[in-house]
Amino acid sequence: MSTNVPANLKYTKEHEWTLLEGDVLTVGITDFAQSALGDIVFVEVPDVGSDVMSGKTFGVVESIKSVSDLYAPVSGEVIAKNSDVEGNPEKINQDSYGSWLIKVKVKNPSELDSLLTAAQYQEFCNTSH
Amino acid sequence: MTELFRTSLFSEHQKLGAKLVPFAGWKMPVQYTSVKDEALAVRNNVGVFDVSHMGEFFIEGTDAVDFVDQLVTNDIATAPIGKAIYSPLCREDGTVVDDLIVYKLAENRIMICVNASNIEKDFSWMQSKHSGFKCSLVNRSNDFSLLAIQGPKSEEILRDIFKDLPAMEYYSVAEMGKFIFARTGYTGEDGFEVFGTHEEIKKLWNDFMERKVTPCGLAARDVLRLEVCYPLYGHELSDSVTPLDAALGWTVKLNKKSFIGKNALAETKPKYKLVKLLVEKGIPREGYKIVNSDHKPIGTVTSGTMSVVLNQGIAFAQVEIANFPKDEVFFVDIRGKFYNTTLTKKAFVTGGHK
Repeated sequence: MSTNVPANLKYTKEHEWTLLEGDVLTVGITDFAQSALGDIVFVEVPDVGSDVMSGKTFGVVESIKSVSDLYAPVSGEVIAKNSDVEGNPEKINQDSYGSWLIKVKVKNPSELDSLLTAAQYQEFCNTSH
Repeated sequence: MTELFRTSLFSEHQKLGAKLVPFAGWKMPVQYTSVKDEALAVRNNVGVFDVSHMGEFFIEGTDAVDFVDQLVTNDIATAPIGKAIYSPLCREDGTVVDDLIVYKLAENRIMICVNASNIEKDFSWMQSKHSGFKCSLVNRSNDFSLLAIQGPKSEEILRDIFKDLPAMEYYSVAEMGKFIFARTGYTGEDGFEVFGTHEEIKKLWNDFMERKVTPCGLAARDVLRLEVCYPLYGHELSDSVTPLDAALGWTVKLNKKSFIGKNALAETKPKYKLVKLLVEKGIPREGYKIVNSDHKPIGTVTSGTMSVVLNQGIAFAQVEIANFPKDEVFFVDIRGKFYNTTLTKKAFVTGGHK
């Protein structure tokens, strides 16, 4: 399956993309994920000030027929959420890398080591599906 | 795992890039492009579904009408030839074996279309009730492919292909050449279900494609049927509920002399009320709990989705009558949060069927 995987981002096996700027990690879902889900009609992410835990669910993305959990790539405090995408979830289908979901202040930088490079994520998509 | 059945259109679905998933023992197209686009094509224009997985039984002989009338809860005996009748099929205790459509094709000739997942169960049940009736009962599910063309432009398209198609009312049936045409469907829109041999149906599918009919998958079909509040076996209906638990009282004709389940359905009070809930924010899903204003659980969502017409969450929910709230206030528990709902009496969406 061909999919758009920008080289400047890092990824998770849960099909999320991340961008690290300073100690703030921006998180969204990948093109592969939005394509597999189909029409995205609902997004729920935590409010600013709440804490997310690495590997634990922090929200959901729903298509018409399915619910998919979102898993936090790192632990930390949510310092911003994308209300525009919550109100217009179809934007994720239109531009998944332009539609970030939350920004997390990274608590433990060592957790970043487990993120996949673009090449590793591309390989993961090719082999696991 | 046993091999999944493929309909005669399997390779056509593959060519169109459909997402194919296991469903009731079959590998079926769940979506081609977008569930939303497919559902809206049916509401506003025209779409076609491959529903060849469904079952077809034929009953022929002098007792055909009596046999079927005795089997099902709705009135088959007084319906005219050429009529299609929706009905539950019940056991003696009133529980539902299946819901189906009875087609009165001719004097002494009936076709019944049943859910794919229930073909074996229904056929054994009917066989066990067959003795003493002068009619044959044959499971011809493997002989037929079935297309449902649905949407306001259905008739125009179908008449362009079949110039001799007779005038047909909503819920009527006509046998013509190698085909059986029924003005029925599962979307609330005008439309036809066309039964035919695998070869002929494959040709017809391509005729539809040439005429730009949108191919639609089972996901769109499920959204469409829920928007117009049609029940689905395995969700609103099951082996453990009666038609009265599922708002199907209108299909139970207690004035018929006799039918299987009549006594139980006449005497027992329903346990559940099936309600239609519109959710302001959030999407209700099957299995989610319904709670009252004190947040006490009183029911369960049996089907839920996002309506493509309303852009809101919609659900059927089974609520215990013993705990039915007088204030008619219901919340749906979505991931531990209670969301407001509005109880609606009418269907969420009004289809345009004739």
